Amino acid sequence: MGRLLSKSERLSERELSRRQVLQWAAAGCVFSGFPSLANAGKLLYPLTASKITDDTWAVYGLPEYFSSENGGHIVNVAFIDAGDGIVVIDTGTSKRFGEALRSLIEATIPGKPIIRVYNTHHHPDHVFGNQAFDRQTIAGTAEMRTALERDGTAFADNLYRLLGDWMRGTDTVLPGKLLAAGEETVGNRSFIHTPLAGHTESDLLIQDSSTGVLFSGDLSFLYRAPTTPSADLAVWLSALNAMQAMDVSMILPGHGPVDPKGESITQTRDYLIWLEGTLREAVAEGLTMNEAMALDIPSEFSGLYVVRTEFERSVVHLYRQLEDEIFDGIEVTR
Amino acid sequence: MKRKGQGFKLFVLCISLGLSGVWSQASARDGELPPDPFRSVMWKSMADRFFPDGPIVFDGHVKVIAPASAEDQFHVPVTIDASGLDNVRQIVAVADLNPIPNILTVRPEQAVSFVGFRVKLQQSTPIHVGVQTNDGVWHMGGTYVDAAGGGCTAPAAMHATENWMDTLGLTKAVARRSDLEHARTTIKMRHPMDTGLAAGIPAFYLSNMTVTHPGGELIADVDLYEPISENPTLTLLPKMLDASSANLHVHARDTEGNEYDFDVLVPSSVE
Repeated sequence: MGRLLSKSERLSERELSRRQVLQWAAAGCVFSGFPSLANAGKLLYPLTASKITDDTWAVYGLPEYFSSENGGHIVNVAFIDAGDGIVVIDTGTSKRFGEALRSLIEATIPGKPIIRVYNTHHHPDHVFGNQAFDRQTIAGTAEMRTALERDGTAFADNLYRLLGDWMRGTDTVLPGKLLAAGEETVGNRSFIHTPLAGHTESDLLIQDSSTGVLFSGDLSFLYRAPTTPSADLAVWLSALNAMQAMDVSMILPGHGPVDPKGESITQTRDYLIWLEGTLREAVAEGLTMNEAMALDIPSEFSGLYVVRTEFERSVVHLYRQLEDEIFDGIEVTR
Repeated sequence: MKRKGQGFKLFVLCISLGLSGVWSQASARDGELPPDPFRSVMWKSMADRFFPDGPIVFDGHVKVIAPASAEDQFHVPVTIDASGLDNVRQIVAVADLNPIPNILTVRPEQAVSFVGFRVKLQQSTPIHVGVQTNDGVWHMGGTYVDAAGGGCTAPAAMHATENWMDTLGLTKAVARRSDLEHARTTIKMRHPMDTGLAAGIPAFYLSNMTVTHPGGELIADVDLYEPISENPTLTLLPKMLDASSANLHVHARDTEGNEYDFDVLVPSSVE
């Protein structure tokens, strides 16, 4: 976090972040009373826009895992009023989510076209709302597009199983525009693109140079355990170091409240270091995956949302590769 | 497809036995089959096929640990811990709703009644584990795993590599002393474990593994079946003869007659 907050900003930091956490929790309360599958066909996402700074709104997801109750409303997306039109960061979990997001944008800033949609990475909770937007406005990296083309069908299969009717009509839509490292002017603002990797094979950071807000996708999480289905932990840790060196005013992580202090970077880094160390030790001891899944989670992380679920998933994601790395090679006679 | 046909014939046979009133003679078991706590629709069929020759009791000493929801239907981790039972003859694990239900059978001669492995699941299914003691009684345990479909009908990942035959049988292992009398060994062998249910790929799997002490005494004898995950990874807890280091010998064979022999070094307990 290069750019330091002014003294008065720093004084209000604590209150600010508490307010945001409360807003975030409030979104959850509204959501918990939502219709279940019994109302199939009437499923609607209760999206609300929270202004995080000038012309910039976050739409917070719940700190949960996918379920038929939450419809996959577990991810943060955002939109920015760029004068001539609207810029959108990630599109949510389903066609319906994308449509709900469009309605929310229209209700918040009526009458403006959507002129740019960024996909931070290819995971389904971030890109399956793409269908609700003009494909030519959707931008992502070439690697992200390749990954989505490869995994989209499998992601959709899995989400239809987990979410049911919320996914009705959802299909993969690839970005129509490819991005590399650089800066682009959209409307009256300019956005810096920093392609990194580690959470997936391609993770794109988007920074609004007018406000200094960094949209970190899933390279950083806050108060919610990081997910690892496509992760390369060493690459991810170096991406976090690169983020740490950036000059930003605040971070909107892919999951969790807005982060004015860079806490999401340190929290994600600390968790990943603990995760890798713990799994390496478990593999070296010859523990079964089930035994590893039951290991204690230290108090530093035990308060993170869905940490037990994500830790168990991470064992499945990471264990086999660590075995190949750590186990002794054995000479075999055939 | 052949197996489905056989399943159907078995089904017809069961029906006709039921209709002709000779159902009780179909099983050698004395007494009633206890109700299944996992409420499997296949429970009677599983019990008659895999646990036919003794009384069945559901027993909390048979712990079957698997995730409630499978993150990856090709690699669902399962640990069976029946270390609380003495005089164990064999441990038999089955996935009721898999197209091929047999997963594995372990005969722990000089090993704790414990095994860890991973399994491919074709759909959400109960897993039943019977641990038969020397008195013939089947001590049952189990669990239920929710899984996405298709674990048994997709080609193994290694078929996507340049030449999978090059690395067939490549083995890695870790062996530790857990205490003076016991070791913990995890053995991982590279093998596609083809089920025969993926289009154009015949069944080809590692079918047996024996682990012996340096003097030849049997530690454990394991039969593996098609649903065991690609690159089978087995965790066993051998009972050691003394505190010194020892090369445990492993002999494995697959369904094409390949034989694999190797040693796994267990360090001495004083290291």
